[in-house]
Amino acid sequence: MEVSKNSFKTLSEPVKQFGGLVGIIILIFLTFFVLNNIFGEGDELVAKMKIEEERIAEERKLNKLISSLPSGVLVSFDGTDNFKLSDELYEAVCKATKLIPQRAIMGANFLNFRAHEIYTINGNKIDETFVKWDDEKNKCFAGYVVSGNNVGVDETVKVSGEALSFLSTGIDTRVYFIKNF
Amino acid sequence: MKKLIFFILFSSLITSIASARSTGCKEGNCDNGYGKWVYTDKTTYEGEWVATKKHGQGTETWPNGYIYKGEFKESQWSGIGILFFPDGSTYEGEWANGFMNGKGTFTWSDGKQKTGIWKNGSFQE
Repeated sequence: MEVSKNSFKTLSEPVKQFGGLVGIIILIFLTFFVLNNIFGEGDELVAKMKIEEERIAEERKLNKLISSLPSGVLVSFDGTDNFKLSDELYEAVCKATKLIPQRAIMGANFLNFRAHEIYTINGNKIDETFVKWDDEKNKCFAGYVVSGNNVGVDETVKVSGEALSFLSTGIDTRVYFIKNF
Repeated sequence: MKKLIFFILFSSLITSIASARSTGCKEGNCDNGYGKWVYTDKTTYEGEWVATKKHGQGTETWPNGYIYKGEFKESQWSGIGILFFPDGSTYEGEWANGFMNGKGTFTWSDGKQKTGIWKNGSFQE
């Protein structure tokens, strides 16, 4: 021990400084290694970041597509003067659409009296809306959930149907007709 | 900066005036008589009015493609009427309180039909 202490003393000043620097660097690496093991998510975090990056890229692609569509009503069926969506566009518009305006909800309520009642009692309040692409059926489904107290009874009604037309505002797209019959 | 604020306020004012001018009673008499009313969401009603309510024969056209032609009572679809759905389906028959109530025929866009008694929009099997 005494010998090593003396040999350290005999080292020149630049060598000592270099050794100290290497020691500090090793200490920093070790500290980060330990902290990463305790708090870091490692591969899981990288995987999450990749998924998020893919989602952003997909969203950008969809937004570009939406802005290229004509403003107005877009339909997935024949027999109207409105812009007819191709199968590919129908899927893309479905995936990009998040909003369901009031008229579409009121239209779907025609065939769901309970939903209409709760919707009216609640002052047109909607708990939740959803627009989903069904890969198996190759169709777009949209709907909403209304809940409330109807004559002393707590009710929750989910209305769902095929989203057959959309409204393109030039900025976004909205479900315009839910066929729930 | 002041110019920008003035421009924004002026634009808002012009937009509000333009919007107000494009809605409301656009033709005829919407109090008592025959008139056309345009709502802010572009829904239109053209038909008979009694005491500022839709009452009598009329046509209501929704911007998303629903068209109701028939009788109104107290602004609601009541009486005999036909509703055209946006996809081409129709319901023709009796209405009450805004819903299919009574005898009527529902025709799908592919031609399939169902006739019978309806209660609050539901077919009574």
